[in-house]
Amino acid sequence: MTESNKLPSGRSRIDSLEMRGITKRFPGVLANYKVDFDVKSGEVHALLGVNGAGKSTLMKILYGLYHPDEGEILLNGKPVTISSPKDSIHLGIGMIHQHFMLVQTLTVAENVALGLPSSRGALTDLDRVSKRILELADIYNLKIDPSAYIWQLSVGQQQRVEIIKALYRGAALLILDEPTAVLTPQEVDELFVIMRQMVKDGHALIFISHKLHEVVEISHRVTVLRDGRKIGTRLTSETTKQDLANWMVGREVGFVPDRGKVEIGEIRLKLERVVCGSDRGTPGLRGVSLDVHSGEILGVAGVSGNGQRELAETITGLRKVTGGKVFLEGKEITNLAPGEITDRMLSYIPEERMRDGMIKDFTVAENMILREHHKLPYSRYGFLNLRGISKHADDLIKQFRVKTPSQETHAKNLSGGNIQKVVLAREISRNPHVIIAAQPTRGLDIGATEYVREQLLVERRKGAAIMLISEDLDEILALSDRIAVIYEGQIMDIVPRATATPEKLGLLMAGVHP
Amino acid sequence: MISDLFSVTVLVGILASGIRLATPYLYAAIGETFSQRSGVLNLGVEGQMLLGAFAAFYVTLTTGNLWLGLMTAMLVGALMGLAMAYVTVNLQAQQGISGIGFYLFGLGMSDLLFQKLMGTVETVKGFPKIHIPGLSDIPGIGEIFFSQNILVYGAYLLVPIAWFVLNKTTLGLKIRSVGENPDAADSLGVNVGRIRYFTIILGGILSGVAGASLSIALLNVFQQNMTSGQGFIAVALVYFGAWRPTGVLGGALLFSLINALQLWVQVLNIPVPSEIAVMMPYVLTILVLVTSVSKVRAPSALSKPFEREN
Amino acid sequence: MKKFAWLLTLVLALSLVLSACGAGATPTPAPVEKFRVAVVMPSAINDLAFSQSMYDALVRVQKDMGGPDKFEIVYSENMFVVDDAAAAIRDYATKGYDLVIAHGSQYGSSLQEIAPDFPDTSFAWGTTVDTFGLPNVFAYEAASQEGGYVNGVLAAALTNTDVIGVIGPIETGDAKLYVDGFKAGVLSAKPGAQVNVNYIGSFSDTALAAEAATTHIAAGADILTGTAQMVVGAIGKAEEANVLWFGTQSNQSSLAPKIVVASQVYHWEVVLKQMIDLIQGGTLGGQSFTANLANGGEVIEVNPDSNVFDYAKPLAEDTVKGIIDGSIKITLP
Ligand SMILES: Nc1ncnc2c1ncn2[C@@H]1O[C@H](COP(=O)(O)OP(=O)(O)OP(=O)(O)O)[C@@H](O)[C@H]1O
Ligand SMILES: [Mg+2]
Repeated sequence: MTESNKLPSGRSRIDSLEMRGITKRFPGVLANYKVDFDVKSGEVHALLGVNGAGKSTLMKILYGLYHPDEGEILLNGKPVTISSPKDSIHLGIGMIHQHFMLVQTLTVAENVALGLPSSRGALTDLDRVSKRILELADIYNLKIDPSAYIWQLSVGQQQRVEIIKALYRGAALLILDEPTAVLTPQEVDELFVIMRQMVKDGHALIFISHKLHEVVEISHRVTVLRDGRKIGTRLTSETTKQDLANWMVGREVGFVPDRGKVEIGEIRLKLERVVCGSDRGTPGLRGVSLDVHSGEILGVAGVSGNGQRELAETITGLRKVTGGKVFLEGKEITNLAPGEITDRMLSYIPEERMRDGMIKDFTVAENMILREHHKLPYSRYGFLNLRGISKHADDLIKQFRVKTPSQETHAKNLSGGNIQKVVLAREISRNPHVIIAAQPTRGLDIGATEYVREQLLVERRKGAAIMLISEDLDEILALSDRIAVIYEGQIMDIVPRATATPEKLGLLMAGVHP
Repeated sequence: MISDLFSVTVLVGILASGIRLATPYLYAAIGETFSQRSGVLNLGVEGQMLLGAFAAFYVTLTTGNLWLGLMTAMLVGALMGLAMAYVTVNLQAQQGISGIGFYLFGLGMSDLLFQKLMGTVETVKGFPKIHIPGLSDIPGIGEIFFSQNILVYGAYLLVPIAWFVLNKTTLGLKIRSVGENPDAADSLGVNVGRIRYFTIILGGILSGVAGASLSIALLNVFQQNMTSGQGFIAVALVYFGAWRPTGVLGGALLFSLINALQLWVQVLNIPVPSEIAVMMPYVLTILVLVTSVSKVRAPSALSKPFEREN
Repeated sequence: MKKFAWLLTLVLALSLVLSACGAGATPTPAPVEKFRVAVVMPSAINDLAFSQSMYDALVRVQKDMGGPDKFEIVYSENMFVVDDAAAAIRDYATKGYDLVIAHGSQYGSSLQEIAPDFPDTSFAWGTTVDTFGLPNVFAYEAASQEGGYVNGVLAAALTNTDVIGVIGPIETGDAKLYVDGFKAGVLSAKPGAQVNVNYIGSFSDTALAAEAATTHIAAGADILTGTAQMVVGAIGKAEEANVLWFGTQSNQSSLAPKIVVASQVYHWEVVLKQMIDLIQGGTLGGQSFTANLANGGEVIEVNPDSNVFDYAKPLAEDTVKGIIDGSIKITLP
């Protein structure tokens, strides 16, 4: 028994971990109520639930970031107290967080090395860490440059850093809180290969995702939370995707959005040979030309980090255009201030909504008027009109089913998916003429995803020109009228939906002309 | 008359003066760099310097032991740092306001002690100029670089040490991460509170040394409010130096050298109104700051108390 | 919790500052004839300079008038923030002091606002000649150019290099009078001498004052003088370089007994006594007074420990006599 008790990393394995009767209250919210949850060595236990169901809260309790109001945690049958991440790390628990826990101004290697003992004592051993990162990256097929700064990386790359960080530390029990939300299907496959290997080696894994096919594919057991309560646990082999969906939401959910027929109108957004730099100092866009028409959704497909961020930022005025021109409804807007562009009724749903889309310490209501705060009915003569703001917030909370104790709650206290909804609600509800939507359904549960897609189609019907930037090919294929594929800062091709297939797009995304 | 400025005497004078004037700024600003890099804005530097200056002076006056004086200043700075750390880390106070509170405390306390214990301005024999045979006698160079007192050398030695600690050690890595994203550091088991305690106390110690460098090395007197706002300028220099020890060094030297130049401009009777002359260090430093485009931002968590949400 | 924390800090700090500032304040209820004086000063009562000159004078007046029972002194020192000083002035006026002295030219505009609100209180403002035309404000100043001139004559006689350095705070008021008088004194005795003047822009920056002294010495000065409290830093540098020093405002010999030749010392009691007499006679202000060599408001104290005492003493006495009898005329630029 002593031999098999060890993991390849040399750590002792965690045979079983059990959370019993966990209750956690936040002001106005019962985030977890008498939840029992357990995971064993050698299994993937998936945790499901709609946005705000209490998944992350339960996991943060396990990791020592929150303290439960009631309940206990047993490790290999013995009760343990976990009062900080230090304790959980010590016990062999690791966590990949839904909101990245990365220091933007440090390099990948520094982020990985942070908090670990160094082989050189008081001095950092970044060379060694970098070497080891490259080894891991090689073994697990996760491309990453250890010397890159986090702020230079795309979200997908940042997710890879989070994964590497966890692998590097070699926890016996690893919590993966929505690690796949920002990964491409290929990357998800790679991650699953890693996870399967870890399971075989005797790790215990907890996996959270809103993508049911992933859950079905990777997990052994599934537990569903709803409104903070545990609804039940089942063996994955005994359920189907549709079962899980219904079980989770508590009603039947369909999957196919209705696109309907819409007349394509005039050109609303036009890019002419746009060139710009990137945060890494390398070229970001290398002569991009595009049109988006009224009543049309133009999908922009591509592997993350190929110029998507730069594309959105040049249009919205957040990044300097160094060559070429941008037109909005026939008027040039190249390098105008973001505020001016916004006022011409361009909406922007940024990819990194936590960072670029909202202010964490503002209330939900305040976040909902960030773009229009200077206009009626939210303000008059420079004074805020609180009644108008409050009514607006109430409406949006209802329409978008934002789960929040009140409109006065600080945005940072919402669940991940509900934070996304606040941004989406704000951007979509202002009757924009043009919408730039980057990964709009990332992190949303199936119900919310459905709703947001419907809303984009509604805006399209109303005549908006929509640019949908997404790495999710299913989403692109479900919504777009035409699909542009971006690769290394250039548009490889623009194909009509009718002739687009995942295979064809996949090749283009890899930079190959079929 | 302006041509007088370009003589060897003047050049040597300016450099030697500038190096000395920069000394207290360096100690205080490097200390502040540490605390700001960990996310703590300490506006109490001036108060820490004053108390440090008094402690060093009084102990030296009564015991005749300079090193004991210096150590007392460090201890006093450390204690003030400890109190500041308790208020900012445990009580999560608004850092700007509590810093001003500590400034006022240091100002009032040093004054009170001075009144009660000394009553009048006195002098001590401070740290002597170090004479390095040979080197000190080189004309010009010798006066500038090789005949200063030990605390002056200490200040300049501190710059590479601080750089090294911040950039090459695991402690430095923790400090930087705590100031940038304490949640991330916390999630990796770094004790955010402990790191901040460390940097604030270190800042206090260095501010104490800054005060001592005035009272028992450069001036050898103590007078109420003798730091005259230098602690606040040190805080400004941290911004000027973009939170890097080398940048702080550049800022401190620039400011001090222009101040030394300004003294010479007046002494040489160059027809510049004295009001303009004394403004030169401030104006030129600001000018350099606004014209040199630096991409460096303040540490993201600067002046934000850290609390694990619960 | 958070509010409490900074409140605590603030209260703690403020209480300390205040206790330090009002260290001498013992406001006991006044018997009828007791004369009560309050003074607000920019630096400390023992700064060996401007503030100390006033405090020492008040103590001498107190002695003359029969001790603390007859003459009460309270003070607020280190009031370098003008708003704080204004609050203190108003506070003393409210408490019914007979004479409230605003000892610093920077307090003028505050006083101009406050004085009309307390027509029964007498105020004094120095150093200046301006009473704002108010019936309850006295103005006082020192003819510091006179003492400066005497120091200058001595300096001219003692310099070997014919280069003399002067350190001042800000080019105005008492400091400017002293510096200009000093210059005139030097040049009257030695027209070819060079007087380098350095205003450092601060009353408290001891370090810069010290560096100014070093600069003067490097520029060839073998005699230095300076005015305002931050010069204590400079005196140390003069001593290190064995360069002679002339003081003003207070007797600075104790700091460096070897090198201080002479100090001009203010005896404000001359001025204070005139004011007190007027107040007791019912006149609360409207006049301006000058302390000078003739009325004994200024005294040149030659340091007996100085090597050049025997030479300097008679020369100082002669010059003072000349100024008093009018045979020496001081012309300022
Ligand atoms: N720090 C906090 N303060 C207050 N309320 C909180 C806090 N953290 C979470 N909550 C609330 O607890 C509930 C559960 O949130 P949690 O983050 O666990 O949801 P989740 O299941 O992870 O959702 P998602 O899929 O959107 O990530 C939400 O209503 C949220 O608003
Ligand atoms: Mg979550």
